[in-house]
Amino acid sequence: MIDQRLAERVLQAALTSGADFSELFMEDTVSNAIEMTDGKVENAAYTRRHGAGVRVLLGARSAYAYTADTSEAALIATAKAAAAALKDAPKESRIVFAAKGYAAPMAVPFASIGNDRRVALLGEATRAARAVSQEITQVQARYMDKVRRTLVCNSEGVFATAERPYTRAFVSTIAMQGTEAQTGYEAPGCCRGFEAYSGSIDVCARAAEAAHTAVTMLHAPDCPAGRLPVVIDGGFGGVIFHEACGHSLEATSVGRGNSEFCGKLGQKIAADCVSAVDDGTMAGEWGSIDIDDEGMPGRRNLLIENGVLRGYLIDRIGSRRMGMETTGSSRRQDYTFAPTSRMTNTFICAGADDEEEMIATMGEGLYAKKMGGGSVNPMTGEFNFAVLEGYWVRDGKILSPVRGATLIGKGTEILPRIDRVGPNMWMGQGMCGSLSGSVPTNVGQPRIRVTELTIGGKGGVL
Amino acid sequence: MTMQEFRARAFQYALEQGCDAAETYYAEGKDFEVNAQGGEMERYAVSRTGGLSLRVQLGGRDGYAYTECIDDPEELVRRAMDNARAIETDDEHPMQTACTYAPIDKKSCRLDGMDEEEKIALALQLERDTLAADARVQRVMYCEVGTSEGHTGIHNTLGLCAERESRLAYCYAMPVVQEEGQVQNALAFRIGDDALDTAACAAEAVRESVAKLGGEPVPSGSYAVVLRNDAMADLLGAFSPVFSAEEAQKGRSLLAGREGTAVAAACVTIADDPFHPYAPHAFDGEGTPCVKKNIVENGLLTTLLHNLKTARKAGCASTGNGVRASAASPVGVGPTVLYIVPGEQTLDELLADMGDGLLITELEGLHAGLDPVSGDFSLKAAGRRIVDGRDAGAVSQITVAGNFLSLLNAVERVGADLKFGLPGSACVGSPSIRVRSLMVAGK
Repeated sequence: MIDQRLAERVLQAALTSGADFSELFMEDTVSNAIEMTDGKVENAAYTRRHGAGVRVLLGARSAYAYTADTSEAALIATAKAAAAALKDAPKESRIVFAAKGYAAPMAVPFASIGNDRRVALLGEATRAARAVSQEITQVQARYMDKVRRTLVCNSEGVFATAERPYTRAFVSTIAMQGTEAQTGYEAPGCCRGFEAYSGSIDVCARAAEAAHTAVTMLHAPDCPAGRLPVVIDGGFGGVIFHEACGHSLEATSVGRGNSEFCGKLGQKIAADCVSAVDDGTMAGEWGSIDIDDEGMPGRRNLLIENGVLRGYLIDRIGSRRMGMETTGSSRRQDYTFAPTSRMTNTFICAGADDEEEMIATMGEGLYAKKMGGGSVNPMTGEFNFAVLEGYWVRDGKILSPVRGATLIGKGTEILPRIDRVGPNMWMGQGMCGSLSGSVPTNVGQPRIRVTELTIGGKGGVL
Repeated sequence: MTMQEFRARAFQYALEQGCDAAETYYAEGKDFEVNAQGGEMERYAVSRTGGLSLRVQLGGRDGYAYTECIDDPEELVRRAMDNARAIETDDEHPMQTACTYAPIDKKSCRLDGMDEEEKIALALQLERDTLAADARVQRVMYCEVGTSEGHTGIHNTLGLCAERESRLAYCYAMPVVQEEGQVQNALAFRIGDDALDTAACAAEAVRESVAKLGGEPVPSGSYAVVLRNDAMADLLGAFSPVFSAEEAQKGRSLLAGREGTAVAAACVTIADDPFHPYAPHAFDGEGTPCVKKNIVENGLLTTLLHNLKTARKAGCASTGNGVRASAASPVGVGPTVLYIVPGEQTLDELLADMGDGLLITELEGLHAGLDPVSGDFSLKAAGRRIVDGRDAGAVSQITVAGNFLSLLNAVERVGADLKFGLPGSACVGSPSIRVRSLMVAGK
């Protein structure tokens, strides 16, 4: 994207006002998106994002400047704009680059296929969803592929290029009866080329699942409200850990004292049966990063081991604030964001408890089969998330599907209350939003049980 | 290559290649933000961005291509044409032709004219004011001052030429307050010249944070509720897709075909006013002149929001609500400045009127805990318990659940205290409203 001599000039220009570190990030990302409504392609778009950002650090202070214009003059001007935030004497430094290149494998490159293949995939998904029930009145199918090409180089000699493919298919369904409507949603994705659709992603099966959710919820009464046991299924159910705990382990929160898990390394924060990991190295997974956006290799980071807090997710500034090493966790949406500590593929590890037993012995409560999104206030640990497909359990037996359930609680309260962890871990895909924008992440867990959680709903009576 | 050259070459090549028409949407931005922490400038960001979206029409079909690299107009045309060939829908999306626009009077504000040093000083002042506002303030989690300038231009081969400048200046603060081991935080913001009054912004942020201390859940059950202006504006914004004709035509809105019927209580009027001084603009995302209208008037749905495509399909005129979520997005439908028209009662009068119930001051999880298609919501909430019309302590860790249309029908009083949220692609505001009841899950 840029030769080393120009890179050095930009990095030196950024150091002229006393920064102790400078970094240049360049990006050239090409993506294609297609949207099909009711079996007909409605929108098709091509997007090329192209630009650069320069960051300077002085201790834990940072300044970031970015531009869509990557001419030499604009890059130098951008470096100077970042430097202008600091007012110290310039420091001399020589930069010796060690070049590295990373490219995630892509067996069928997106550039090698035409829109006809993309459209055919959406057509199949639509038909599969429609085939589930006549009550499905609407199917919206979307497709996205993207190749993200980046370069990150810094005044400490990092010079790393990376190329990563992403693809994702979204299916949303509506089931309708009279004036009532309910929805279903599935959105599988991965960090691979188009070969994903003849391997890891079965679009038709996922479309049928989305239709099944909508139809099931259409015939479901409102969820009762109260504080009761909750069984949360694997896959996207891991969003509970992502929200209730993961965000509060990021240096963004911990490094500024804004997390309820500050100063708790080595302490018991969860039940014995809970171990959790953030692993950026899993091949082809949606949240994987071979290198992070500061040029550090991705890692498998142990967060919780048998209930004991073992680690945080730490970027360069976080490392300076916390006096701890970086963990290969620095990410950004694109060049318009300075990087910060983020999750990759985050999950609760498989346990040994029987999946059926945990429902059979729960008494009355909620079985949350599919989770929607949620959010957390890392300061207080208070979280909330939506249940897309839930079932009411009474006397250990599934009584009825229920709609409109929400789960709320606090991270420090839920982790000790997990009393069952099943043997099969799987993951679901999401986009996670934080200070450095929206990045692809996987959430995951086996089926788990929480002894007590606040279930919000319209107060249905079963 | 200049933008003008790029556009001229793209238009020429598109027409040569057989396109019926071509349009460019260009958005340029210049942004600044600074965060203060511990008496120092902590995070600072400055940027210049620009991107161009090309839309071509080929045999009645639209194709889009967007780039931030202004180097190869012919390649962009080929990409857009390739995408147009993939389109299967028969719904036509006309392009706007040359129009004249109402003049917009934009007040300039003092923050726009400040240099970086002055803006940094303002952020530091905001932090000092926040720390000084109450002994329980531990530190300030976010303390930001920012300005943004934008230029947007829409041009096409049918003669459309629509250009506008936009400016925004703002500050916000989020303190962390602590009492008896419990911590809380809340955010307050100011825009325009109000952003210079850092003391007022700090005082509000601290007042809101301190009010949340000691919150407890209430017993689960059905409660009479007053939704405070900011909470109601958040809810209205999250459900605003129900007013979109695009969603209705795709079978994704409960308001499809309901024009002319009652969809809310008679005391509810909802306006979409692009000329509102809060964020005025003369034309929408496809160059159509904006118009002010009441979407809901005294409870009756008068119109859905249209762009040129949905209007063609419905056989009506565009309401000037074509929007682009970003420059790279296709033209969709959305509100401009959307708000519930205020009534006459103060918040205190609404609470006195209610007697016993809950005042909801905050809703969370709006991107996940609600479904614009079904209208159902179940959201984490916080607020105050109200007994005999008077404050009886903080409430937290509860959810409120209901259905948006049922809620609009259950509105009993509309307050006078209209307040807008932070301006984004749309601005949404509301006064506080009292509703008959909502289902609450607590302890």
